[in-house]
Amino acid sequence: MMKRLLHLSFAWFIAVLFASAASAQTRTVSGRVTSSEDGSPLPGVTVQVKGTNTGTQTDADGKFSLSAPENGTLVFRFVGLKTLEIAVGGRSSIDVKMETDEKVLSEVVVTGYGALEKREITGSIASVKGDVIQNLPMQSFDRALQGRAAGVLVQAANGVPGGAVSVRIRGVGSISAGNEPLYIVDGVVMNNSSTTNFSSSNPLAFLNPNDIESIEVLKDAAAASIYGAQAGNGVVLVTTKKGRAGKTEFNLNYYYGSVEPIRYMNVLNTQQWIQVRKEAIRNQNPALTEAQALSAALTGIRLAGNLTPEQIAALPTYDWQRASYRQGAINNIELSARGGDDKTTFALSGSYNQQDANVIAVDFKRATGRMAVQHQVNNKLRFETSINLSNIKQRGPFGSPNGGSFLGSPTFSSPLILPINPIYNEDGSYFGTPQTGGLAGILNQNVIMNAEYNTIQNITRQVVGNAKVVWNPFKELTVSSFYGLDYREIKGEYYADPRTADGFGVRGRLTSESEYNATFTANPIVINFAKNIGSDHKLNTTLATEYVQEVFEGISQQVTTFPTSQFRTANTGATPISTGGFWTSYRRGGVVGSVQYGLKNRYFVNAVIRRDGSSRFGNQNRFGTFGSVSAAWLLTEEAFLKDQFEWLDEIKLRGSYGSTGNSQIGNFDSRGLFGGGANYGNDAGIAPSSLNNPTLRWERQINSEVGLDLAFFNRRLTSTIGYFNKESRDLLLSQPVPWTSGFSSITNNVGRLYNRGIEFELNTVNIDAGGFKWSTSFNITKLENKVTRLADGDTVLPGNPSVRIGHPLGAIFTSQYAGVNPATGRPMWYDVNGNLTYLPLNPTDFRVLGTTLSTLFGGFTNTFSYKGLELTVFFQYDFGRKQFNNQNSFLMENGGRLFNSLVDIYERRWTTPGQITDVPRPINGNAEVRGASHLSGSRTLEDASYIRLKQATLAYNLPQDLLRKVKINRARVYAQAINLLTWTKWTGFDPEFLNLGAGNNGVVPQSRNYTFGVEIGF
Amino acid sequence: MKKLSLSIKVLAITSTIFFASCSNLLNVDPRQSIDSATALTTQEALEAAVSGAYDYLQALRMYGRDFIALPEALSDNGRATNKSGRLQAEYQNQPNAHFSAGTWQLSYAAINQINLILDNAPKVNMPAATRNNIEGQALFLRALIYHNLMRVYAYDPGAIVTQNSRGGVPLALTPILGSDQIEKLSRAPIDAVYAQIYKDLDDAIVKLATTPNSRAPFYATRAAAEALYSRVALYRRDYANVVRFADAALSRGVGTFVTNAQYVASWRAAIHPESIFELQYVTAENLGVNEALQTTYTTLLAVGDRSRTGGFGDLVPTADLLNIMQAEGNDVRRQLYELGTAGRGTAEIECTKFMGKGGQPNLDNIPVIRVSEVILNRAEAYAMQNNDALALADLNRIRNRAGLPSVTLSGAALLEEILKQRRIELAFEGDRWFTLKRLGRDIVKAPPVQTVPFIDFRILAPIPVREIQANPNLQQNFGY
Repeated sequence: MMKRLLHLSFAWFIAVLFASAASAQTRTVSGRVTSSEDGSPLPGVTVQVKGTNTGTQTDADGKFSLSAPENGTLVFRFVGLKTLEIAVGGRSSIDVKMETDEKVLSEVVVTGYGALEKREITGSIASVKGDVIQNLPMQSFDRALQGRAAGVLVQAANGVPGGAVSVRIRGVGSISAGNEPLYIVDGVVMNNSSTTNFSSSNPLAFLNPNDIESIEVLKDAAAASIYGAQAGNGVVLVTTKKGRAGKTEFNLNYYYGSVEPIRYMNVLNTQQWIQVRKEAIRNQNPALTEAQALSAALTGIRLAGNLTPEQIAALPTYDWQRASYRQGAINNIELSARGGDDKTTFALSGSYNQQDANVIAVDFKRATGRMAVQHQVNNKLRFETSINLSNIKQRGPFGSPNGGSFLGSPTFSSPLILPINPIYNEDGSYFGTPQTGGLAGILNQNVIMNAEYNTIQNITRQVVGNAKVVWNPFKELTVSSFYGLDYREIKGEYYADPRTADGFGVRGRLTSESEYNATFTANPIVINFAKNIGSDHKLNTTLATEYVQEVFEGISQQVTTFPTSQFRTANTGATPISTGGFWTSYRRGGVVGSVQYGLKNRYFVNAVIRRDGSSRFGNQNRFGTFGSVSAAWLLTEEAFLKDQFEWLDEIKLRGSYGSTGNSQIGNFDSRGLFGGGANYGNDAGIAPSSLNNPTLRWERQINSEVGLDLAFFNRRLTSTIGYFNKESRDLLLSQPVPWTSGFSSITNNVGRLYNRGIEFELNTVNIDAGGFKWSTSFNITKLENKVTRLADGDTVLPGNPSVRIGHPLGAIFTSQYAGVNPATGRPMWYDVNGNLTYLPLNPTDFRVLGTTLSTLFGGFTNTFSYKGLELTVFFQYDFGRKQFNNQNSFLMENGGRLFNSLVDIYERRWTTPGQITDVPRPINGNAEVRGASHLSGSRTLEDASYIRLKQATLAYNLPQDLLRKVKINRARVYAQAINLLTWTKWTGFDPEFLNLGAGNNGVVPQSRNYTFGVEIGF
Repeated sequence: MKKLSLSIKVLAITSTIFFASCSNLLNVDPRQSIDSATALTTQEALEAAVSGAYDYLQALRMYGRDFIALPEALSDNGRATNKSGRLQAEYQNQPNAHFSAGTWQLSYAAINQINLILDNAPKVNMPAATRNNIEGQALFLRALIYHNLMRVYAYDPGAIVTQNSRGGVPLALTPILGSDQIEKLSRAPIDAVYAQIYKDLDDAIVKLATTPNSRAPFYATRAAAEALYSRVALYRRDYANVVRFADAALSRGVGTFVTNAQYVASWRAAIHPESIFELQYVTAENLGVNEALQTTYTTLLAVGDRSRTGGFGDLVPTADLLNIMQAEGNDVRRQLYELGTAGRGTAEIECTKFMGKGGQPNLDNIPVIRVSEVILNRAEAYAMQNNDALALADLNRIRNRAGLPSVTLSGAALLEEILKQRRIELAFEGDRWFTLKRLGRDIVKAPPVQTVPFIDFRILAPIPVREIQANPNLQQNFGY
C-alpha cells in the first residue's frame, strides 16, 4: 500500500508542479479508456484537465466526457496504472489505452514504515520479487530465498517439507542470543520462534509463497536501524499481493510432482557384516580362536554358532533403506482473484499444498485463505486490511525433534539395521515386533512398523491479520495507524503405539500438547512528512511508534495404558503420567524518527534514530538508543557524467554507519527467580532457576558499510559491490559461572565479535535479439567471522570449546586423526607436540580444525527465453563449512557394535601388517586397550561445502492470439526440477542440514523434486 | 510553513505521550516463577525448597543411575555388554569415562539450595519442630552430597596418594542469589570437608530428634543421619564413631533386617523394607528407557519372563562376582541374578534388583542406605578395632541370613570375609568402587580390560573442564 501511496503523491506532485492558468477556448472532449493488456474498459479512471480542478471519472464502459481547453492537456490517473498526459490538440474524441505501472513498481523499494524510489536509497537492501520464487515446491519463502540475495545465508535444517530453515543476514552476530532476522509480513511482526515439538516446523510456512509480491532484506544499519532494537540480525520485509483496480483477474495455478531421495548409503550385506564382526571380536580378544569368534558373531545376531560357510553364504540380505526412503508426491492448487475500482481494491486467494518427504510417514499439508482489501474513503482517508488464515498439518519424522528416540527412526536406523533382519514375515506381517524380541542388533525396532503405527503430528492454525487507517490531512502529511496480530494455535501429539517398542512396555503412550501464541503489533502513530522545496530539495521525514507484545502459553499431558491400538485419545488411556504447562510473555515499545534529504537528485542523506525498551532487560537498562547515518551520491547525475556516455546509466556510491540491537534472549533472563516443578515424590518443590542481573542491557551491532551500485548499457548490466563490517558488542552471552555457585550461567553483556564481508551482485542481459533473450544473475558473499573478546580475559568460553578468541564461532576443537599404524592397525592421533598418540587428551591435544560456519556462498541464475519458451537454471553454493558426520560415524564402526557399516570402510579396513590405510582394524567396542575410540577426533569431520543445481525450470507461455479465442489472458505450462545435481565431498546423505544437537543423526535429508504445472489467468 | 510547524507539534506531542506510557507498558512478571529475593519467606516455600533439594538427588547423574551403576562399572563387579554401548568406556576405565560433569553441577546446585534454606529458615516464623525438621533434613542432605563429592573427586582419609592428591572439594556454605555473590572457590583440604560433614551430621541428628519415623524412608530422619554418620566415619577410619552411630541408627526402628525367606521378596517390593533412606520416584519421575537402572541392568521387563525384551542390559555381573557367589553354595542373593533375553544380542546373566517395582518399566525407588550396609559398616569397624567377636557376630548375621553357615575367622581373613560379604550384599547398589578406593586397593579387572592400580590417576574423577576454565582457583585432579 505504501507504493500506491507514493504513486498517488507523485501524481499529485506532477499535477501541482505543472499547474498553469486555464486557456480561453474550451470544447467537449469524450472518449474511452481501455486496458492496454486486454483491451477491456477501465471504469473509475480520473480524467482531469491539467492545472485545473475540472475533472471527471470514466463510467462502467470506460467512457468519459468533459469540457477542456483546445490547447489543454488531459491527465488520466488510476491506481496501479501509469499516469498518462494527452494533449487535447483540438480533438473532441480521445481514446486512451492505459498500461500497468510496472516500471514504478519495480523501482520502488519497501523500506519499513514507507517506501522509497530505488535511486534514493542510501542503505543496503536486497530485493527479491515474488515472481522469482513463484511455484517453487517449497512451503516457506525463507527456503526459497536461498542463493537469491547477497549476504543472506539460508540453510535448511533438514528436508522435512515445511521444516525449519536458518536465515543469517551478514553472518552469525551473537553467541547466546538468537541470530534470527526480524520478519515483518505486511507490517505485522512475526513471532519467529519455532514452537512445535513433534515435527520440524517453520513459523513462516503459514504464508503461501505464491501470495508474495516482494521480499526486501534490510541488511545494514541504514536500512535496518529504523527497526532499531530488533534489527541486529537484519530485517526481512514481506509484502503480499494486493488488489489492483480494473477488471477482476482470476488466476488458477496447479502443479503436481514427485519427491525422491538424492542418495542411498552403500552398506554391507549379511556375509560381509558377519566377517567384519568376527574380526572385531577376535581383535579385541585374541585369546579366541577363529571359530569361537565366528560363533560369537553369529550368536550375537541370534544365529546358530555352528553355521557352515555354505549356510552363511546362503543367508539373505534385506535393504531397509529402500523401504524407508521413498518416492513421494507433491500437489499444489491455488485460485486467486484480484480487482477493484478506483476506490476499492481487493485480492482474494485460496490454496492447498501437500508435499511428502522422501521418507515414509513424513509430510506436510496446508490450506490457506487470504483476503486483502483497500478502500479510499475520500482523497484524505484510506483503509487497508488483510487477513491470512492457514491450517497446517505435518506428520513428523520419528525421532526428531521430540518424536521419540532416534534409534527408532527410519532415517537414522535404516542404513544401520543389520541386514540379516527381514522387514516383513512371509505372511506380510512385520518382522521383529516387540513381542518377538525385536530385530537382532542394537537397532532392534522395526522402523517401518514404527512409521506406520505411530502418530507423530502437528497441527498449526494461524491467523495473521492487520488493519490500517491512513489519513492525508494535506498533501505533504500522512498519518497512519496500524494494528496487526499473529496468532497461532499449535496442537502436537505423539502416540507411541502399543505394538511398537516405545509403547509396548506401557501399552501405548500418548503425549500431547496444545500451545497458544499471540504476537500483537501496533504502530499507533506513524507520521510521514514529505515535501519538495523547489526542484533541488527533497525532504522526507517519518516518526513512528511501535508496541509489540507476545504471550505464549501451553499445556501438555502424557497418558499410558490403552486398551488396544485403536484407542488413541487421552481419555481412553488408563494411567495419567504427567501434565505440564507454561506461560511466558514479553513486551517492547519504541519510537523512531528518520529524515531523508535529497539534494539536486544526486546527493542523498538519511538519518535514523530510535529508542526502544524491552521487558526482557533489567529495570536499570531497559531502554536503548539506536541510530544510523547514511549517504549516497549519484555520480551519474553530475554534469561531468550526465549524458556524457550513452552506455552509462548509473553510478551510485553509498556509505552507512549505525547501530542496531538484539534482544533475542529468554523473556525473564535478567531476573533472579525460583521456579516450580522441582518436585520430589508427591511433594511440590521449588528451586532457584536463574541469577539476578538488573543491569542486563541490549546487545549492539555496530554496522558500517560502503557500496557501489552500477548500471550500464541501458541497464542491461547492473551490479552492486559492497563491503561491510558488523561488530557485535555487549554480547548477550550466556556466561558460564562456576557450578559451585549453584548456577551454571548468567545472561550478561560480555564479549565482542565481528562479521566482515564482501558482497557482489551482477545482473546482465547477455543476448536480447530476434526474440531470444539470455540473462544472468550472479551473487557471491565472502564472510569472515571472528570472536575478539570474552569475559575476564578468557580465551575460550568455559564449557564451550567452539567459542574461542581469534577464531570464528563454531570453531571445531578436536584431536587430529593421524591414520592407522601400519604395523598394528591401531588408529592414531596427533598430540600437542605433533607426535603420534593412541590416546589424545582433551583439551591438551586438541586443536581448532575449522569452523561450522560457511565462509563463501551465493547463487547463479541463467534464464533463456525464446518467444514463449523459457528456461531457468539456478545454481546455489555454500562453502567453507565443516561438520562432523555423526550418522556416518555409526556407519564406520565396522563391527565394533551391532550396527551395519559402509562398504567403502569395510573394503579399506586394515587387515595385514604393513598395510597403509586410514581405516583401522575392526575392534569390538570401537576402542583398543588404552586407546581412544577409533571414531573420535577429526576422523568423522568432513567438508560440508556444496554446489547444487537447485532449480531448473522449463516453461512455455501459450501464445496470446490462441488464448484470446478461449477468453484466457495468460496460460503457462512448465516442468521443474529441484536439487537435480549436487557436487560435494560430504559422504553422508546430504551436506545441507543444521546441527540442532544430534548432528545429522536421523535428519531427513534434502530431496530431489520434479514438478509439472499449469498457470491460467482469465 | 504553518503546516510544517503543525506537523512538528503533532509529532512532538504524540511521541512524548507514547514514550511516557512505555515504561509502564513494558512490565511483565513471570507466572511460573517467583522472585528469588523473596521466595523463601514462608514456611510453605521452605518446605517446597526442601522437596526441591531431594529432587536433585533423583537425577540420572546422581542416584538415578550414576551413584548406583558407575561404582559397579568402574570396579570389578560390572561388565559392560556393549548392547547400547553405554558404560562401555567406564567399564574399560578409559580416562575421562567416570562420574561426569552433571554430577558435579547438580551436587553444587543442591548445596546452594540447601544453603539458601539454612540461611532463610531461622528468619521465618514457624513452630520450632517444623524449623528443626526443615533444617535437619537440609543438613543431612548437605552431608550426604559433600560425602559423595569427596568419594568421587578426592582421596579418602587414610588412602591418599600424596603426590597425586589435590585436596578435597570446594566448600560452598554461603547462599548465592546474585552474580555479585559468586566466589571462585578453591579446593578445601580433605580433612576440612570431612569436618564439615561431621558438623552437619551432628547438627542434623540433634534437629531431627523430633522428626517422626513416619517420614522414613523417603525423607531424612534421625536414623538416616546416624546411618550416614556410620558410613562417613568408616571412610574417615574413625571406627569408634562407626560403631556408635551404627548402633544408634539400628536402634531407631527405621528399616528392618529381613529374613532369608523375605530376602528376595524385599527386592520385589516397591519400598525396600531395609531402607533407612530411600529415594522415592513417582510416575512422572520415571527416568526413561535409556539410562534408568532397570534398562541399565537388565533386558527383562519382568522376572522370569524371557519372552519380552525391555531395556538394554548394558551392565551385567562379572564372571568374578558370579563365581564368588556360586562358590558360597546356596546363597539366596544369587537368586537376584538371572538369564536375560537375547533381544539385544547374546543373553547374559543380569541383576534384577531394579525391575520397575513402582508399577511401570524403569520406575524404581532407589535405596540410599539400608540396614545391611550399616551392619557391614559396623562389622568392618569392629574388625579394624580387632574386636573379632563382635565383628563375627555382625558378619555371621549377614552370612546366615543369606543361607550360608557361620564362620570363625580373625585378622586379615576376617576383614576379607567382611569385604566379600559387603561386595555380594551391596552388589549393583553403588558401593564397590568406593570401598576399594577407600581401602587403597587396586581395581582388578579381567582381560581384555587392564587392572587399574590404586596409584593410577583414574581412581579420581576429572573435575569438569569447563569448571576449571570458569574458575582459575580450582585445581584439576592429577593426570587430567
